[in-house]
Amino acid sequence: MKNVNVLSVCGSGTVTSSMVAGKVKETLKEKGISSSTTEARPTEALNLAQSGRFDFIVYTSPLPPGDYKIPTINAFACLTGIGEDKFFEDVFKTVDELNK
Amino acid sequence: MNSDLIALNLEVKNKEEVIKELGKRMFEKGYVKSTYIDAVLEREKTLPTGLDIGEMCVAIPHTDSKHVNESNVALAVLKNPVEFRNMIDPSKKVEVMVVFLLAINDPDSQVTLLSKLMSVFQNVELLKQIKNSSSTEEVTKLLKCIEI
Repeated sequence: MKNVNVLSVCGSGTVTSSMVAGKVKETLKEKGISSSTTEARPTEALNLAQSGRFDFIVYTSPLPPGDYKIPTINAFACLTGIGEDKFFEDVFKTVDELNK
Repeated sequence: MNSDLIALNLEVKNKEEVIKELGKRMFEKGYVKSTYIDAVLEREKTLPTGLDIGEMCVAIPHTDSKHVNESNVALAVLKNPVEFRNMIDPSKKVEVMVVFLLAINDPDSQVTLLSKLMSVFQNVELLKQIKNSSSTEEVTKLLKCIEI
């Protein structure tokens, strides 16, 4: 299974994106999936997404409109813990699709 | 957790006041630079940090690491709820009673602190206990459980 590249986006590209990135990485690891995470602000997200370096995006601040070309998953549930299971379901599904 | 950075029963009119009050304490202790408070206020305008945890709402205002000297967290339990905007949907308002002002110097090296913080504000029972605490010693003890 290849390494999954995740872009985590939040307002300052530091605090909440790191929190989410950490949790996503850990949860994927428990499933035997290795991942690399990068944090960014919303203003950087579109460029980074279009660079082709990432497999999908998780975000806690709204993403500016644009064609991201890769799956974008709302990670607010991961941050608050409410509805977190559904968030991770979406993440696993996205990862599964990548490996097809 | 530094007890001087814990403000209980804080009476403020709006979110700017609570950010300024906690920010002032952080600045006086040297944790943040003089540009920190303005940067937090500015960021909160466009990229708000209100979180709806279901039974209650908290806010985690913060800004870029360049305004921070040393990582720390300041906490305010408000006397009356104050309006913040929702992080994931800035058009929505949230009524906040507990505010964590975050100063993060280097997120990459602070992964543990960040994940501990996350576990605090995901823990509604702990948040309720913090909200109902009658002394800073009590809050310090509550947070010690998660080693903050």
